[in-house]
Amino acid sequence: MPDDGARTASTLEEIPPAERTPIAGVKEALQRRWSRPGGRGYAGLRWGGAGLFTAVAVALVVSLLTSSSQAFAHSGLSLLWTGTWDPTHKIYGAETFIVGTLITTAVALVLAVPIGVATAAFLSELAPRWLATPLSVLIDLIAAVPSIVVGLWGLLVLTPAFAHHVEPFLKKIPVLEWFFHGPALGPSMLLAGVVLAVMILPTMVALSRTALAGVALTDREAARALGGTRWQVVRRAVIPGARTGIEGAVTLAMGRALGESIAVAMVIGNAYVIPHSLLAPGATLGSAIINNFGGVTPGLDRSEVIALVVILLALTALVNAGGQLLLRSRAREQVS
Amino acid sequence: MTIETAEAAAVSLEDVSVSFGSHRVVRDVTLDLARNRVTALVGPSGCGKTTILRAINRLHDDTGGKVTGRVTVGDLDVYGRDTQPELVRSRVGMVFQRPNPFPTMSIFDNVVAGLRLNGVRNKALLHEAAEAALHHAALWDLVKDRLQTPAVRLSGGQQQRLCIARALAIEPEVLLMDEPCSSLDPIATAKIEELITRLSSDVTIGLVTHNMFQATRVSHYTAFFLLGEDRATGELIEYGRTVDLFDTPRDPRTKAYVSGEVG
Amino acid sequence: MSPVATTTGLGTGSPGDGGAGLGEGAARRRELILAQSKRSLGRRHLAGRVAVALCMVAVAISLAPLVALVAYTTSRGVHALSVDFFTKIPTPAGIAGGGISNAIVGSLIIVGLAAVMAVPVGIATALFLLERRGRIAGTIRFTADVLTGVPSIALGIFAYTVLVEPFAHFSAIAGSFALAVLMLPVIIRSSEAAMRNVPRSEWEAGLALGVRRGRVVRSIVLRGALPGLVTGNLLAVARAVGETAPLLFTTGSQLFNLNPAQPTAAVPLTIFSLGTSPFPADQQTAWGAAFVLLVFVLVLSIVARLVAGRLNRQAR
Ligand SMILES: Nc1ncnc2c1ncn2[C@@H]1O[C@H](COP(=O)(O)OP(=O)(O)O)[C@@H](O)[C@H]1O
Ligand SMILES: [Mg+2]
Repeated sequence: MPDDGARTASTLEEIPPAERTPIAGVKEALQRRWSRPGGRGYAGLRWGGAGLFTAVAVALVVSLLTSSSQAFAHSGLSLLWTGTWDPTHKIYGAETFIVGTLITTAVALVLAVPIGVATAAFLSELAPRWLATPLSVLIDLIAAVPSIVVGLWGLLVLTPAFAHHVEPFLKKIPVLEWFFHGPALGPSMLLAGVVLAVMILPTMVALSRTALAGVALTDREAARALGGTRWQVVRRAVIPGARTGIEGAVTLAMGRALGESIAVAMVIGNAYVIPHSLLAPGATLGSAIINNFGGVTPGLDRSEVIALVVILLALTALVNAGGQLLLRSRAREQVS
Repeated sequence: MTIETAEAAAVSLEDVSVSFGSHRVVRDVTLDLARNRVTALVGPSGCGKTTILRAINRLHDDTGGKVTGRVTVGDLDVYGRDTQPELVRSRVGMVFQRPNPFPTMSIFDNVVAGLRLNGVRNKALLHEAAEAALHHAALWDLVKDRLQTPAVRLSGGQQQRLCIARALAIEPEVLLMDEPCSSLDPIATAKIEELITRLSSDVTIGLVTHNMFQATRVSHYTAFFLLGEDRATGELIEYGRTVDLFDTPRDPRTKAYVSGEVG
Repeated sequence: MSPVATTTGLGTGSPGDGGAGLGEGAARRRELILAQSKRSLGRRHLAGRVAVALCMVAVAISLAPLVALVAYTTSRGVHALSVDFFTKIPTPAGIAGGGISNAIVGSLIIVGLAAVMAVPVGIATALFLLERRGRIAGTIRFTADVLTGVPSIALGIFAYTVLVEPFAHFSAIAGSFALAVLMLPVIIRSSEAAMRNVPRSEWEAGLALGVRRGRVVRSIVLRGALPGLVTGNLLAVARAVGETAPLLFTTGSQLFNLNPAQPTAAVPLTIFSLGTSPFPADQQTAWGAAFVLLVFVLVLSIVARLVAGRLNRQAR
């Protein structure tokens, strides 16, 4: 596809195909662009859209950095590894929240990745079509359930269930008691992780299913023709072939879990200490922002909360950008 | 149709028809693949050559094709009631139209993929089979120092030879090849043809090709297919020694086709 | 590379064939492999059945919580519904009765405005990406992809700093802006994908007739991509309408209000504040609001898919 300038040439006859290269068309195109009626409007539309979008993206970063500059001036990067959040004594530390964010996300991924991939494998490879199609549509639709509704359900239904049934049960399992000890309160890191898992599962399933379905028929037939059973074909040819896509699914699901705030705030218990057990209440960056931003006075306190936003933003941007770059480099590798 | 050969059949088809839904793609094929010989399946595209080939290793099981008639590989009744399709396929190797090495696997893992799928874990056996198969496919010298590199780094022709090695590694009695050269350049094609000639002393080969010259170059026997009068169902028109079929075709349609009047 | 040279060239120590014909090594391997294949087949089939069973369990686990959630919300929510629920405003905390008309109207205003901001900019940016290759387009595309993953709470705080703080009061517009930023990357990428599906040849046919480029885009590209555009944009709206975090510090109030520059209620916020209230009457209203939101979002998602399907069929 030639460059933008060249393709602004109005007819194919004017510029023979061989010459419709960037250089050949640019000069005439530039002249024509501003003289032809309508050319200006269309170009303006495109550049206007792209410009506005870029401006918004830049403004997002700049405004959050500016608003948090007071906090970073006050605490410096030690904000990242200070474990206390005590505005009355002007001590601000995000460590508890960062740890909480990472733990709840890890719990969510441990639950959602294997279940999501297995579900996707069933829907795309193993189930008959009459079953797979409606189930897939159902999961796609369910992905649209707003996080506030999941949060409400987590708060009013899961919390009592966890306090009275799930958590006491987990504490009795011998090996797992290292993870699950302390009082069973209901609101906990575990519950937050479970709620996050519920929220990211449809994403995991939908993206993994796309990845699995994208594996070429010829790869499947190669494994089949070598004597592999139905499951062996899935396990040895299809799932490995979909690895890149599944990694992308995990990355996106992870980004979503890291950044979810409202549902987590409703079930995590909002305790500002580093938790010693998955049954202990805790806090994440997102839940801490929600619980602190409303009440704080303008000035240092608010700036410190916005610093939490910047940390969260950096964390999710890192994960997402990393995921994107990974996917792109893989794609390039496969082409060459 | 009489089969004018005294040679033992490694594969035989009796009255084999294949349909997809209500579309009968090919009908009443009776054909032998002589042991350790190359049998070419030729004819215009769409006449069911691929379909017949895939009936031999039951690849239609999963694509909705219905196969009737009788197929035997050695003493094995391919569509017998107690026959497991996996065991048919571990005796019958297949090479596809486009090279399809497993893209996420190394060269070595590709070659031994079949053994692993068949439950072989023994390292010594895996290495022995891989080396033998790569020798067979004339790839050993080229890849012996980079067995762990991804298979997709190889050129198209090399990938196709890797696929041949992969099929040979499980030591099949029969090797089915579906237009293995159709995506390759002439030099790569020549290499594969040379390979086919050499392999035929060890395995029975069924080779689909639309290239008449290829059939005359590498095959001992040729089966000629054509769409029947209904223009929808393929039929076996003539079958015999390649030299006979090309020099003295008995059926006027064969004669027309090989002399280039059709297709 | 004659046959003889190759087969004998392997030498005695080699694992290949010792001579012409089927070699000893090959025959032995064939037997070993076939035996192993037969021996392991039962185990392989069993492993497959176990794996399939596990996958089915996974499907059940995937579906169970979400189906339970929807069912529970429905069963609790329908009881809250009444004419009052849609026409009245909330009663004071803990007192039964009242409705969420303020929040429903507020949500429609906020999301409507968000769409008005995001859809034109999004489609224009998608056109930019469609028409241009190279650095700038690559950067914008990458930015959009990364922005898709930005936590929605960050967008709320962003809108707060640029549209609430300077004016010293909450407003529907500030919330709309936050939602528009949320929707933008989704709209950009889905619209670009939809328009890329319009065959290049159709563009060129239009251009070859001497039609202005802007017109070609309007009459060929946008029309050809319409199903995809509608679906992508409706799904973006469906996602935005349920978002809570972007509105938490931007729109905030419980008043009935029609002026976008003033504080405005929204359904997700109502669910949050009433759901976290200790009073059962408030929680009951929260379930009702959650049910209404759920139905709205699901209907929007279904319509998006149906419309796309129908327009797709017409295009053929
Ligand atoms: N999986 C399938 N489903 C439906 N029809 C098929 C399928 N595979 C092949 N066919 C049909 O069978 C006919 C013969 O195909 P094929 O065996 O590939 O021909 P050839 O290899 O001789 O070119 C074609 O008309 C094709 O449409
Ligand atoms: Mg074919």
